[in-house]
Amino acid sequence: MWVLFGVPSASFANHAKVGEPNKPIRFGLTAVVLQENLRFLDEWSFYLSNKLGHKVEFVRRKSYREIMDLLASGSLDFAWICGFPYVQKRDPEFIKLLSVPIYKGKPLYHSYVIVHKDSPHQTVDDLKGKTFAYSDPNSNSGYLYPQYLLAENGANNQSYFRKSFFTFSHAETVEAVAERFSDGGAVDSYIWDSLKEFRPDLVAQTRVIKQSPSFGFPPLVSRVGVDLEIVWLMERVLKDMADDPDGRVFLEGLKLDGFGDFPRSLFNNIQEMAAKIRSSHLDNRRPAVKASINTDTNK
Amino acid sequence: MNLLQVSPKGLSVKFALTITAVVAGVAFTIGAVIVTLDWQRYHTELEDKALLLAHSVAVTAPEDILQNDSWSLYKSLKNMANQIPGEKRGTHIITGMIQDPDGRVLSHLDPGNNPLGLPLEHSGEVETKLFNTALEAQRPITQSTGFGEGGFLEGVAPIYSDGKLLGAVRVRLSYKELYLKAQRSTLIIIGMTLGLVALGSLLGTVISKRITKPLTAMTEGIESVSRGETSNIKYVPVGNDDELGILTNAFNKMANEMADKKLLEEQIAVSEKMVALGRISAGVAHEINNPLAGLMNCIDTLKRHPDDPELFNRYLPLLDKGLNRIKNIVESLLIELRVEDAIVTESSTSLDDLRDIIELEIDDRDIEFVWDNHLGEDVLINTRRVQQIVLNLLKNSIQAINDKGTVNFRTLRDGNCVILEVSDDGPGIPVEHRNRLFEPFFTTKVNGTGLGLWIVYRLVESMQGMIEVESEVGSGTHFHVTLPMMEVSV
Repeated sequence: MWVLFGVPSASFANHAKVGEPNKPIRFGLTAVVLQENLRFLDEWSFYLSNKLGHKVEFVRRKSYREIMDLLASGSLDFAWICGFPYVQKRDPEFIKLLSVPIYKGKPLYHSYVIVHKDSPHQTVDDLKGKTFAYSDPNSNSGYLYPQYLLAENGANNQSYFRKSFFTFSHAETVEAVAERFSDGGAVDSYIWDSLKEFRPDLVAQTRVIKQSPSFGFPPLVSRVGVDLEIVWLMERVLKDMADDPDGRVFLEGLKLDGFGDFPRSLFNNIQEMAAKIRSSHLDNRRPAVKASINTDTNK
Repeated sequence: MNLLQVSPKGLSVKFALTITAVVAGVAFTIGAVIVTLDWQRYHTELEDKALLLAHSVAVTAPEDILQNDSWSLYKSLKNMANQIPGEKRGTHIITGMIQDPDGRVLSHLDPGNNPLGLPLEHSGEVETKLFNTALEAQRPITQSTGFGEGGFLEGVAPIYSDGKLLGAVRVRLSYKELYLKAQRSTLIIIGMTLGLVALGSLLGTVISKRITKPLTAMTEGIESVSRGETSNIKYVPVGNDDELGILTNAFNKMANEMADKKLLEEQIAVSEKMVALGRISAGVAHEINNPLAGLMNCIDTLKRHPDDPELFNRYLPLLDKGLNRIKNIVESLLIELRVEDAIVTESSTSLDDLRDIIELEIDDRDIEFVWDNHLGEDVLINTRRVQQIVLNLLKNSIQAINDKGTVNFRTLRDGNCVILEVSDDGPGIPVEHRNRLFEPFFTTKVNGTGLGLWIVYRLVESMQGMIEVESEVGSGTHFHVTLPMMEVSV
């Protein structure tokens, strides 16, 4: 919150003038949101454009990496990314927390480890030697959390699963598990729940065997350097959607309650998890330590 | 007769059947060839399709395999399977898979049963063979399980990257499509064949009718001829100027000529009858006229000398003789009326009586007479008439023999008939006499009356019998008389 409140006043002075009206605001979207409904996204961008008085354009890429690269290169002004990329160290930092979606009353979500509904596997341990589907190497729920689970077991991805792969989409991870292409998979709880409505057939074929602790919901960020007035406007527009009848229609479509200001600390546990995994990978080189970590299993 | 009635129908049916059979044979042969060619074409199409589908996956696969992107491999398999919307276009993809050079699953359309990264299940002889062939494939190939139940065609496309074998895509297409297509074309061809057969049989019927109709008409005409009805043969319409038309024309001409000939024959018969009648009348007149002249002479003489008793004594016997002669002639002419008397049971003696008379007739001539009477006591015949017949025939035979010879007499019973046979080895009857043999007053003998055979003829006729003569000049003559036996009640 301090980031948002601290910087805008200063930025306002620097960039008194709103960006050129011909140049649209580019808003990056990632696998954190279901991107299949093109018409919905078009209408939402139209809504945002109207509210902002500036054309908003959604930019979609397959991976978080590509969105982050576009942000870094200045090709995007805003992006809806994941908590894991957000907490990753950048020097210099080029993004700022803009807003956090409120899901089921809280800015939180989980990672689900799922298997096929008829699968004999009941725990993550059962998946040893099996196949596993990750969504994106920069996804918290779809990669970091299951990696953390493995690290807690003193294992790493290479040795634990017979085969693992990335689908770059939570929905496709559900598909891979539902069609038994993969024995297990890790997905965003928000996407999994949303899919119940859009692809009930897929979701019905899967079963959650492990729910992670709460993590900060994938946040919306702005690029450092974007006109502060626009950043401020964008933040307001998003925040006001819950009070606006039109805005509520889109929130309903997104299965969200609204967008709010939350501190960066919301994502601290993701950062800690990432740190633990890094250290365990270093520890992995020493078998003795591996054994000690092994005792701290998540059961 | 039976044959004649059936055969025209038989020919028309045979003709129609033959044409139908020929048309059917040709149509079925062509049909079979088309079906076979179709089947081969569809099979080639299916092979091409299998190869194309496998190739479409193999093209994009190297990158995904090198990057260990199993999900993309799976999606490209799925996209391949979805390119052709299921049953709509008939192509049915049974399954598809990508295996690495060691036979492990890189991706499979039935992932539940073919887990990723594990060796591909290939239980059974057929599957093992397919698996090994796919492993060894150096270039795109197709392989098949055969056309049995659940049979499929597998397109195999090896995946190469920079000359290195990374695996193989295997796509299995059901033969169902092939069956459906072949079935459809077979049905169409069977329908066409049946149509052609129907058309052929119709054509055959029409043609055979055209050919057999004049034949049937001609057959009826010939049948009429064989029944002797030569005058009312129907005219057979002439169709074309082909062989059949020529035949019909010839037949009509023949029928006309026969009708003319029949008319001519009838005219000749009438005139012959008139000639015979004239001859008989002349004979009667002559025979009666001869004694009449003498009688008239006697009566004239007696008129002139009424008081000469000597003349009376001389001429009265002459008058009596002349009148008796006339009476005999008239009696002979009316023979059937005269012999209308007693019916007696034939005994061997009643006929055997004749034997003595004949032997007396032969006298001391050098003639061998064979008497062979087999009639029993129970045979009912008109004895007087039969005696007259036998006597006349035997007398003729004896008189026919010039110097020496044999005369045979034989009787026998044949069912309800009595058969009398008289034969001699005399000079035979000349051809020119045969037609007049039974004519009254026809005789070749100096003292003959010409009434003997005529009487035989009338007697046999009056008894509803039959008389036949066989004669050969120089060899002899054989008379054969068949007489029905009389009813016991008569």
